[in-house]
Amino acid sequence: MSPDPSDRRDADREWDAGELGCGKLLVELRFRLEGMAPGQELKLIAFDAGARADIPAWCRMTGHTLMTQQHPVYRIRRKES
Amino acid sequence: MANRFCVSLTHAKDNPDKATVGFVIANAAVGSGKETLVFLSVEGVRLAQKGYADDVREEGFTPLRELIENFAKAGGTIFVCSPCFKKRKLDEHNLVASAAIVGGAKLVEFLSEGSPCVSY
Repeated sequence: MSPDPSDRRDADREWDAGELGCGKLLVELRFRLEGMAPGQELKLIAFDAGARADIPAWCRMTGHTLMTQQHPVYRIRRKES
Repeated sequence: MANRFCVSLTHAKDNPDKATVGFVIANAAVGSGKETLVFLSVEGVRLAQKGYADDVREEGFTPLRELIENFAKAGGTIFVCSPCFKKRKLDEHNLVASAAIVGGAKLVEFLSEGSPCVSY
């Protein structure tokens, strides 16, 4: 994924998920995005190898926008509704 | 008719019969033109390691290594359950062709878009 100009500004929140993966990572991620305002951005750090494929898939399914992906760093914009 | 097919495989050398038949069916699906996914979880993740299946030869079946290679050559995809893989301390740099380590979201996405799934 190519760098996005919006990546130059600070994310609204940051979460280091460490080695969390699969279901635990995704449920925690859901809770964190739900606690943010529409349009806000979360910088996620996730070291689990499965995150490379999972985070883009999760964003496609949930409607949140994956702004940038450079494992283990992901930047996600919360959906509007 | 769905154009996708998923085989969920939870066994390796703990049940070589199921491991073999799972890939036989996966080959049948990919050979029938289906976008085919093999989801390896639990003990099945060991099959994603190069060389692991080399000595699995069930009577009456094609050797498992050949089944896995043919599946990949035909365009099949192999998803490997990340926590299952990590638990067994396997090597993510020694994966068979077409295998990728994923978490649950990739499987959920594949099945949610419409796919039958058979489990072994």
